Amino acid sequence: MRISARHLNEDELESVLIGDAAPEHTAHLAACEPCKAALAELEAPLAGFRAVTLAWSERRSATMPLRDLQAAQSRAAVAGRKRFALSAGLAAALAIGVAVPVLHYEATHTDAAQSLPSAQAAATTETASAASEESPQQQQIARDNQMLRAIDQELSSSVESPAALGLQESTGRNRGYRSKMQD
Amino acid sequence: MSQVPAAGRVASELDDIDALVRTYRARLLRFVAFSIGDADLAESITQDCFLKAYNGRASFRGDCSVNTWLTSIAMNLIRDQQRLQKFRFWRQARATAIDITDAASFLPSNESSPETSILAKEKAKQVQAALEHLSPNQRTVFLMRFIEEMDLSEIAATTRMPINTVKTHLHRALKSVRAQVGGVR
Repeated sequence: MRISARHLNEDELESVLIGDAAPEHTAHLAACEPCKAALAELEAPLAGFRAVTLAWSERRSATMPLRDLQAAQSRAAVAGRKRFALSAGLAAALAIGVAVPVLHYEATHTDAAQSLPSAQAAATTETASAASEESPQQQQIARDNQMLRAIDQELSSSVESPAALGLQESTGRNRGYRSKMQD
Repeated sequence: MSQVPAAGRVASELDDIDALVRTYRARLLRFVAFSIGDADLAESITQDCFLKAYNGRASFRGDCSVNTWLTSIAMNLIRDQQRLQKFRFWRQARATAIDITDAASFLPSNESSPETSILAKEKAKQVQAALEHLSPNQRTVFLMRFIEEMDLSEIAATTRMPINTVKTHLHRALKSVRAQVGGVR
């Protein structure tokens, strides 16, 4: 390693102090007593400041209450538990709020859905038992008749008004066209 | 003998808030106090810092020392405080200014004469006064380097400054302090 032949100037000594010394300067410093002394002189106020401020802070720190910190720690823990309890309570309330209507809806529709197939099944059973002694062709005719009766019943119970079906009342021109068609 | 992993050791260290406070509070208080120049406010920030560290101990990755981690938390709290009190910072701080004269009496003086000790105390007060003339960034890096004895890479990581910016701040801060402190070369 190259060793600087000349003494370090102030900028170079500052670089040593801040921890950014060039290797040749570090090597020179290790072997040069005047530069060592110059560095020590430069460093003395900083070392003194470090020691005095540590003495100050140790005294001051010793008078600081630890209990405040422990109390704050306990408060933080209690607050954390309260936050958890509140969150859990809210979550539970939300779950109940969502679950009750959903379960109610499902129960209602399940009953309806279960009652509909059971009625259909009963009707089918009746038809089947009645037709059990008939031939397959007659059974088919019976099923068709049953279907037609159901359609007739449905049509007769439905609203006949076009307005009720969401349609516009027929105009005069339409009426004429319809009467012509009927004619 | 079983070896406890470093991260585990650190985690258990952070879990014990009493031990954490006993070990680091004086150093942390010093850094905060001489960063802001207000002893009372420094105590408050130091307490906040320990609480924040304790509550956020799970986020400590163990890639730096606990002291460096605490210093970085303190630095952020100091910055928050400086933003709040930007214009009345040092003016207000003087109300509870730090007086290190008494504390200097407790310095061990077995290695130096009374005259040397008095001179050292006087120089320390001059350095303290010189800190008031530094910019916040210069003061922070100065304290980290010469009080906390952190190396350049640690300071750069903690302050999130490029290392060359840290060097520039340190050179300027050191020149300014030397200019204020008489009798040093």
